[in-house]
Amino acid sequence: MTDDIELEGFEPADLDGHTIDELSDYLAAGRQPVDPSIESSPGCQIALAAMLRLRTLSLALLESDVAEQPATDESFIAGILNSIGFEAQAGRSIPVQHPSAQASLTLTEGAVRGLIRAAGDTVSGVLIGRCTLQGEVGVPGEPISVLVDASVFWGESIPLAAARIREAIYAELLKHTELNIVTIDVTVHDVHLSRSLGETSVEEIEGEARDG
Amino acid sequence: MDARPVPSLTDADDRTLAGRAADGDVRSFEVLVRRYSPLMRAYATRVLGSNDETDDVVQESFITAWQQLSTLADPSVVKSWLMRIVSRKSIDRIRARKLHVDIDDHEQEAPPSSTPPQIAEAHSRGAALSRALNDMPAEQRQCWILKEIAGYSYDDIARELDLPVSTVRGVLARARKNLIREMEAWR
Repeated sequence: MTDDIELEGFEPADLDGHTIDELSDYLAAGRQPVDPSIESSPGCQIALAAMLRLRTLSLALLESDVAEQPATDESFIAGILNSIGFEAQAGRSIPVQHPSAQASLTLTEGAVRGLIRAAGDTVSGVLIGRCTLQGEVGVPGEPISVLVDASVFWGESIPLAAARIREAIYAELLKHTELNIVTIDVTVHDVHLSRSLGETSVEEIEGEARDG
Repeated sequence: MDARPVPSLTDADDRTLAGRAADGDVRSFEVLVRRYSPLMRAYATRVLGSNDETDDVVQESFITAWQQLSTLADPSVVKSWLMRIVSRKSIDRIRARKLHVDIDDHEQEAPPSSTPPQIAEAHSRGAALSRALNDMPAEQRQCWILKEIAGYSYDDIARELDLPVSTVRGVLARARKNLIREMEAWR
């Protein structure tokens, strides 16, 4: 390929002095601010139309590629899942008292997040998302706040769901850990239907309340 | 007790799934893998110019994603984040290839059996574009796909490909002219 491909109809002489690169930038900027010398030039209009067709076609190409992908091979998925380690999400170590002074027992933060997730998921119509422990979890007795993200099934009362999530999480943490939980904040970020029905997204409804 | 349907992970939104996966939930991660594998494979195949290495690149991308998910500040943007990762991995592959064989712009084309599917759409405009892209020099194809399909800026492309911005502009100008010529001739 040479650097100076001549393209009939797309050279500055055809474009009232403009270049195709200029037109490309103009198109990328959403044809703003309006340039009358481009908009009133038939040559430029033809070139812009060609570029728009090309852009539309490029995007459609990926879509059709996706549609033509064979069903994802189970061995492909297994290959990924077998290769991932669990250290990445283990997080901090949380001490647990033990009757013997010689024994040192800890839970990982990841394990505690797993407990929180499982507890929250038991609430009808709820799926827990990201979960964060704020505070010095490594130091016994330090005040800890739990932040959870949740999506709630369409039709559920959000304040009620948030209250149940807090109760479930609080009870579970009390049973399995010695953390001093001072607050549990629940953010309901999505109200979900089935994806096949289209997503109903009620953004960022704060189901905020505090446990003492 | 009430018997409301239990929401399934398969139907969960990206923010929920990516948030859970970042916290170590493998099942949620698996749903993301199933949801975005076809898109990532299609995309990687385009960038690479053939599907010989697509599986490897997409697998590596997901493994990297798992390791780095906890650093993703906003889990709702996991799709575009995954696309960035697969872009980078694809580009790394092409670089590694170049280190092995010092070939010029016209790199060896993959055998026909492994080029992106061209069968059913043989007479469509999409097929014409598909062929034109595959026939282009690798550098032009990559720049074009990053710009027009992935929506990268000139600066982003320059950074990803480790090229001066002026070079990227030049390559894209040539790619644009090549494709317009092909597509307008086809019209």
